[in-house]
Parts: sequence; structure tokens; C-alpha cells
Amino acid sequence: MEQFFAQTAWLIPSYPLMGMVLSMLWLPSITPLTGPRPAGYLNLGMTGLACLHGAIAFHATWQQAPQYIAIPWLQIAELDLTIPIEVSSITLGAILVVTSINLLAQIYAVGYLEMDWGWARFYALLALFEAGMCALALCDSLFFSYVILEILTLGTYLLIGFWLNQSLVVTGARDAFLTKRVGDLVLLMGVLALYPLAGTWDFQELAIWAETANVNPTTATLVGLALIAGPMGKCAQFPLHLWLDEAMEGPVPSTILRNSVVVATGAWVLIKLEPVLALSPTVLSVAIAIGSITAVGGTLISIAQVDVKRALSYLTSAYMGIVFIAVGAQLSNAAFLMILTHAVAISLLVMSSGSIVLNSITQDLTQMGGLWRRRPVSGLSYLVGVAGLIALPPLGGFWSMLALLDGVWRDRPIIAVILLLVNALAAFAVTRVFVLMFGGQPKPMTERSPENGWLVTLPMTILAGFVLHLPLVLQTLSLLPDWAVLNKDVALVLTWSSLSGCSLAALVYYGPIAKPIRLPWQALQNLLAYDFYTSRIYGVSVVGSVDRISRLVDWGDRYLVDGLVNMVGLASLFGGEALKYGNSGKTQSYVLTIALGIILITLLMTWSSLTNLSLVIGG
Amino acid sequence: MLSTLIWLPFLGAIALACLPASISSKQIRWLTLWLTGGILLWSLSLLLQFDLHTPTLQMQEYLPWLDSLGLNYQLGVDGLSITLVILNSFLTWIAVFSSAEHVERPRLFYSLMLICSGGVAGAFLAQNLLLFFLFYELELVPFYLLISIWGGERRNYAATKFLIYTALSGALILIGFLGLVWLTGASSFAYSAVVGQSLPMLSQLILLGILLVGFGIKVPLVPFHTWLPDTYTAASTPTAILLGGILAKLGAYGIFRFGLGLFPDAWSVLAPGLATWAAISVLYGAMAAIAQTDIKRMVAYSSVGHMGYILLGGAALTTLSMVGAVSQMVAHGLILAILFHLVGLVELKVGTRELNVLNGLMNPIRGLPTISALLVLGGMASAGIPGLAGFIAEFLIFQGSYTVFPIQTLLCVVGTGLTAVYFVILLNRTCFGKLDNAIAYFPKVEWGERVPALILAWIIFLLGVQPSWLVRWSESTTTAMVSMVSPSTTPMITITTAMQSTEALMIPKN
Repeated sequence: MEQFFAQTAWLIPSYPLMGMVLSMLWLPSITPLTGPRPAGYLNLGMTGLACLHGAIAFHATWQQAPQYIAIPWLQIAELDLTIPIEVSSITLGAILVVTSINLLAQIYAVGYLEMDWGWARFYALLALFEAGMCALALCDSLFFSYVILEILTLGTYLLIGFWLNQSLVVTGARDAFLTKRVGDLVLLMGVLALYPLAGTWDFQELAIWAETANVNPTTATLVGLALIAGPMGKCAQFPLHLWLDEAMEGPVPSTILRNSVVVATGAWVLIKLEPVLALSPTVLSVAIAIGSITAVGGTLISIAQVDVKRALSYLTSAYMGIVFIAVGAQLSNAAFLMILTHAVAISLLVMSSGSIVLNSITQDLTQMGGLWRRRPVSGLSYLVGVAGLIALPPLGGFWSMLALLDGVWRDRPIIAVILLLVNALAAFAVTRVFVLMFGGQPKPMTERSPENGWLVTLPMTILAGFVLHLPLVLQTLSLLPDWAVLNKDVALVLTWSSLSGCSLAALVYYGPIAKPIRLPWQALQNLLAYDFYTSRIYGVSVVGSVDRISRLVDWGDRYLVDGLVNMVGLASLFGGEALKYGNSGKTQSYVLTIALGIILITLLMTWSSLTNLSLVIGG
Repeated sequence: MLSTLIWLPFLGAIALACLPASISSKQIRWLTLWLTGGILLWSLSLLLQFDLHTPTLQMQEYLPWLDSLGLNYQLGVDGLSITLVILNSFLTWIAVFSSAEHVERPRLFYSLMLICSGGVAGAFLAQNLLLFFLFYELELVPFYLLISIWGGERRNYAATKFLIYTALSGALILIGFLGLVWLTGASSFAYSAVVGQSLPMLSQLILLGILLVGFGIKVPLVPFHTWLPDTYTAASTPTAILLGGILAKLGAYGIFRFGLGLFPDAWSVLAPGLATWAAISVLYGAMAAIAQTDIKRMVAYSSVGHMGYILLGGAALTTLSMVGAVSQMVAHGLILAILFHLVGLVELKVGTRELNVLNGLMNPIRGLPTISALLVLGGMASAGIPGLAGFIAEFLIFQGSYTVFPIQTLLCVVGTGLTAVYFVILLNRTCFGKLDNAIAYFPKVEWGERVPALILAWIIFLLGVQPSWLVRWSESTTTAMVSMVSPSTTPMITITTAMQSTEALMIPKN
């Protein structure tokens, strides 16, 4: 029986797809009759089924050899586009994470969007994401991964634009779509360029090819850089990080998914591409550089935010930056572990902060405070999330960071320092948010803030339980290092960096310093608070130049190209007018003209035959 | 039989014209709908008889006509034209469907649409240069009338511009054909008689250049495109669907059939230039579209960009890129049809096409939610989002041409990015945003108005997830066309070396 579920595991994306298609019934006309809720419950059920199927199949495939399935899609000329599917414990594990976080987020959404009328659209889009991510986990081909990433880009556009009558939402959706699309298209260039070199897009075969490939270094570098552009967009890496922060205009339940698993799609593809990227050392260095900039910059910017959702979103960018560093350092296992521990921890953080936002009716950290006594469950969940995210033993984040740090400790001390710094900064950032929300005295906005109903609180506490149990799960899956080989120095330094970050933040924000805290250099504070002015830089550079060029082209089109044509038209019109006066209206003159014409034509036609001159000679 | 596709619309047009004046516009519309539906079914039945593995002409028909002139009635269909013939029948049906229930002078209107359909079918099927030319010129007059009688603002200016441009295009094509037959001394204008000629390279280049400009006007390619935005914008929705969906494809088809087919050697000499021209067209069209504030004009400019991909596919001349180019003709026809239909509906219901006035149409209660949702789908299909028909065609072109012209291909990929930019502008301004309640008293969208868009959306989606139904028809014909080019020319060398290096790299793997 279990084997049956394992063999049909490749159909798991169909559950959410079915939910999505069925909720379309509620889009136009049924909603006024039944209300929008049935669409949500339907999707919830479908997600539950997907999760259950995934769990059984995961159990069945545990410690089994992976199965490969090929589904023919398109064969044309020399191009063979068959969908390769890998059913293994890794892919099913990913599916399990995706579907369970989805399940929790969807239950959360039932409570969170209680009054919303757009359930059908919202749940249909969540289902699209779920299906896309499950498919991405199963899919073993770069081409189809690209296809899925592109479709999810469209999904992001629609999901962020969910509350479409607010102008910030509209610009956020636009920026998300375009930034991700830029990444996707550069990835497409890489996809196009890779095939003539490797002759395949299957990750398995690409890895085998990369072992022995003899590619021109410049080509390898260019292709590799193109390939990391897609994940850069998806993972909100510098300089394509702008969208994740603006995406916070969307509903919180979608933020839970976006910050945890959706951004991980890019990282997933990046890890699978690692053997190809390794063809060029430059590409690996670039990945590390991008990751480091984003990780350090993201944590710093996060500390400067006053909006709790934005503070957490920059942390997501930062942790994805750490995944980039891991891939750049060729530590794929650490990267996988980092994705997993980050996903569950950050979704818990978003859930608990969202549960505060929901009935404090503000996202502004400066208006919050003193919630610890009123919201102990949310507060505890938040603390569990903090402990799970940053490297605090014995929870998940510690082990993933340790695996990474262990790998770079000896050979690349600079990266190790960066990682420790990022960890300390992240600890500072999450502790700061905690103190601002839960510490101190209540403020007007937080005076009345009871815990939410079970629909919001239960998923949050379940997830908190999971974060707490993650080390046990990792232990069972034997993903934790042995005590004997554990590098105790590294573990100690790592723990110290977390603790110092936390305690510094507690000192600063519990302490007597006047709030809100002003840095001695206002310019620096603004630089961080406004995200390095990225949106303004884009506005001036890329957006501005496209705008200017398009206006120029339009002007040229109107006045030069079309103007020339109209001038010719005008000239011929005048010519016609002038000729008109040559017509007298007398029959004789017409006959004369016709006769002359006939003579001319006859002459021309006989000319060639008479002189026996073929024009072919001339040609 | 192929003749049915030509003569049934003509007979239908005559019959419609003879109807008594008492018959209402609505009844005539239904009658035409049945007739064009029948033609569509007939053309679909051709698919059943079509042999996928034969690269040459199939279902040929021959009737001597003016043999002394070299003009005979010769029809045939191959992988290049079969999908276009079906696209023609289908879009005619859709165009009739999307016509308003009450039009002025209905008998003339629907007769002209039928004549257009028959004429275009004839041009796709004709296997005689003069016969092709006759059909090519034949649809000029009905289109002129359709634009100038039923068009919108500035219709007379647009119609005249269209007439002049198209007449010029026809004249150039005639010069090209006459020159070809004259120089080769062929016995007739039959396609089979002139194919495989061996003219000196210079004459080939000149003739090909003339044909390229002639067909380039029709496609249209930058800088011969300025009739297009005016004409498409001034034309009524059904006319715009026919113009953009089918007539433009006639130009692209002509470039492939008569440019590439008759002058393969000159083609491969010009190929790098053509690819660059294609990239310029793509970028120019996209850039011009971004600056538009009229949504119909924006869609019209999108067409300029998208036709550039077809030329790129042809210039690269690999089987893959050619298959992609033929598929792109079909996919673009479908996508343009849905966009024109929806834009027409928005104009009809809201009363404006101005981006600065439109807002918030996605509003589920007082806006046009279904139309907006379909507009998102159409725009995204045009921007090449996977899962929709536009993507696979563009992807095949890109993959096929990358090995031959990498720079131009990458520029065209940038063009798809710019396509996304203007469609996001369009969607953000029309569908998203806050609907002004004061003006939001739009007439109800009838089911009959939604159906054409729903059908098109369904087909665009279906061909996107099951692309082999779109691409497989042209494979054997395009393979034959590619192999026609002598392997000594430059593009082929690049391909073979690329293939060899690929093979060399793949050997250690085994």
C-alpha cells in the first residue's frame, strides 16, 4: 500500500491544482450565492490530502534508492523535452515541508482573512504556488525548473496584487513581477546557452557532464553568471532584492509562504546547479560575494526598519544570502539544511508577528510595546522562532550554521567571519523586534490586544512545536553531525556570536537609551532605513532610461519614420493636384495619350525581340 | 479539398449580398457564423488527411487556366501553410463571433469578411506565383472598405495609408516575381518551375531584397510599419483581428515561402543582416509600445515586436528555429486576436482606451472581472509566460537561433522582458487600482461577448501545455527547407561546428 503512494507521488502537485481549478468556479458568479468560504475549505482539504500523500510516500521511500520517471512532453527536431521526475526521500521531504507549511498557512488564513471577500482568488493562488513548488521539488530538469519559476513569477504578481485597489499594492506587484522577470530572463539566456554546451538540461546529467566538461572559461563564467541570475531574483538577492520588501503589502498568510518556501525555490535550483556553476571559480566567488553583500546588508537594513513585516523580510533576504554563500563554497548539504531550518523558523516568526499585527492594527514597531503579558502565546512562539532561526543550540538554525561554518572554518576564514557577523546581526535584529513588540510598557495601539482565535493561534503553536522538535527530526534522519567529530571551537564561537547579538540588542532596547534610537550619523541611518535607496537608484537608472528611450523611439516613430511617409504622401497628393489641371476633359486628348502609350509599349516589347537582346545578359 | 476553403467563402459572400434587406443584422451574423463554422470544420478535417512525414506539397489541385501566361490554378498545402490555413478559418470565425450584433450595412460587412477569408486562404494555398499575387491583391479592397466604412476615428486616413502601403507591397512583390521568371526564363509562374533556380548571386540578392521589402511592409518590419498602428487602431475589433491575426502572417509566410524558398543561397548570405533586423524590430516595437497611452495602439505595437521573432527564426535557419517561427505565427495570431477582442470590449463598455483614464477594472462587483482576468492571461501569453502558447514558440526560436546568432537572440530575449514591461503597465493601469465609483456604471458584459475570448483563452492555454499539437505540423517541411540551403554557407558551418563540439563534449559522458 505504501509503495502505491510512493509510485504515485509524482501526482502530488495535482491535488493543489485541482483545488485551484475548482476554486475558479467561485471567482465570478457563485460567490454571491455561497459566499467565498467553500473555495477556501476546498483548497484546505486538497492541501491536507497532498500533505498526507507526501507523508506516506516519504515514509515509503525512506532509505530507498530514488526512482526516476520520465514523462514525454515535446519532441521536435533534435530537441527532446521530456519531463524527468525524481521521487526520492529528498524531494518528498521538500514536498512534505512545502505542503505542511502551506496547510498551516491556509488554516491561518481562514482566521486572518475572516472578513475578506476574495477567498477564491487568494486560495487559488496559494494553491498555484503549492503546486508549483511541489512540481519544482520533483522536477529534475533545468528547463522545467525555469518554466515553473516563470509561472510562479506570474503567481507572485497576482498574489501581491491581491488587494488591488491600493496603490502601494499595485506598485509592489509591478516591481515584484518585473524584478523577478529580469532574473528569469537572464536565467533563460543561461538555459539557452547551456544546452549547446552540455546537450542536456537534466540536473543529473548536467552534474555528470560538468565533471569532465572542457568549456572555455569565459563561456563558463558567462553561462554561470546567467544561471545564478534567476535564483538571485527569486531569493531577493542584491541587487534584485527590492521586491521582497514591497511584497509585504500583500496579505500576511501569503507572506508566511513567500518568506519561507517561495524564496527557497530559487535556492533549490541554485543548489541543483552547483556542479555547473563550479565550472568557473569566478561564478562561485560572485555567488559568495552577492550572498555576503545581501546577508550583511540585509541584516543591517532589517535593524533599521520600523515596519515589523519589512524587518523580517530583509532577514529572509539575508538568510538566502547565506544559502548563496553555502553554494558558492560548494557546501550543498549545509545549504539544504539552511533552507529547511530557515523556512520553518521564519514562517513561525511571520506567523507570530502577523498575529500581533492582526489585532493591534499596526505594523509599526514604534507604536508597539508591552505585549508580553497580553500575548504570552504569540510571544513564546516568537521566541521559539528566534531560537530556531539564529544559531542557538540545540535548535535547527544552530546545526545548519554549524555545518556551513565548519566547512569554511579552515580554508576561508574571511567567509567564516562574515557568517559569524551575519549571525550576530540577525540575532540583534530579531531580538530588537522582540523587545520593541513585547518589552516595555503598552502603548495606545497595544492596550487592547488579546490573543487571536484558535484558527490563527493553533497553526502558530503547532509550528512552534515543530521548530522545537526539528533537532529530533534531523537526528532521526541522521542529518546531525556526530558528537565525536563535532568541532567544539566552532560551535562555541557560533553560540557566542548569537548570544552577544541577542544580549546587545536587549541591552540597547531595554536600556535607558532614548527611543527611537538615533545613530550618530543620520545619513547612515537613512541609508539603511531606505534600503540603500535602491528603489530610487532603479528609478533613476534602469526605469528612467527605459522610459526615456521609449519616449525617444515613440517620438522618432511619430515624426521621423511616419513623418517621412506622410511627407511622401503629401508630395504625391500635390503632384496629383498638379496633374489634374493637365486634363482638359476632351476626348481627343485622351485618345492621343492612349495611342502614344500603345506605340511606346509596342516599341518596347518589339525592341527586345528585334535586336534579339535578352536582358538576362544585362543581369 | 482545398478549393472549398477559397470558393465557399466567395459563394457565401455573393449569397449574403443577394439577401433581401429585410433580414436583420443579427440573423446575418448567425448565418455567417454557421458558414464560417462549416469552413472551420472543413479546414480541420484537412488535418486528418495531412501526412506529417511528407515534406512536400499535399492535396494538390491543378486546373489549367491561362497557360500561355504561365498562370494556372494550382493549389497545395504543406507544413508551412497547413496551420496558417486553419488559423485563417478559425480567426475568421472568431472575428464574426466578436462582431457586434448590430452593424451598419450588415450584408456588405459580412460579405467583405468572407471575401477576406477566401482571399487569404487562396494566398496560403496558391502554388503559382501569379495566382498568389492575385489573391494577395484581392484582399486589399475588402480590407480597405472594412477599415474605411466600419472603422473608428481617423478611419479614412488609416484606410488610405493601408491602401497605399499594401499596394506598394503588392507592386514590389509583382516586380520580384516577374523579374525572377524573366531572368530564369522559366516556362511558367508555377512555384515548382522556379524553385531551385541558379541565378547569379547579385540578381538573387536584388530580387530577394525586393521581395523582403514587399513582404516586410505586410509583416510589418521596422521601418515599414507605420501603417500598422494607425490601421489597427482605427479598424473595428473584427477587422483588427483579421488584420493582425491573419494578414500580417501572410507577409511572414510570403517571406518564408518566396524569399527563403526561392532564394536559399541569397537568404543565407543575408541571414546575419536579417537576424539583426529582426532584433531591431523586436526592440523597437517593444520600446514604442511602452510609450503608448492608448491600449489598442499598445497592442498594435506589440505586434511589430512579435513579428520580429518570426524573422529571427527564419534567419537562423535551423529546423528548430523554423518550427518555432511557424508556431509563433499561429500563437501570435491567437494571442493578438484575444487581446484585440478584449481591448475592444473594454472600449465598448468603459468608453475609453486611454491608460490615464482607465482604472480598477478587476473590481469584482462593479468592474469587468472576467474581461480583466482574460486580459491578464492574454498579456502574459504575449509576454511569453510558460504554460501559454506564446512561450513555446518563442523558446523554440530562441533555442534554434542561439547557436547561429547568439547576440541577436539574446537581444530578442531582452525584447520579451520589455514586452512584460508594457503589459504590466497596461494591466496595472486598466485592471488594478481603485475603480472610480462615480463612473463605474458599465453596461453588462453579455455571454456572447465573453465566449470568443474564452475559446481563444482555452486554446492558448491548451497549446501551451500540450505544445506538440502546435509544433508538429511543420517539422518535416521545415527540415526540408533547411536542408535546401547548401551546407557550404556560413550559418550551416556554425551549426555543424556547434553540433560537433557538443558531440565531442558528450563523448566522455558515455
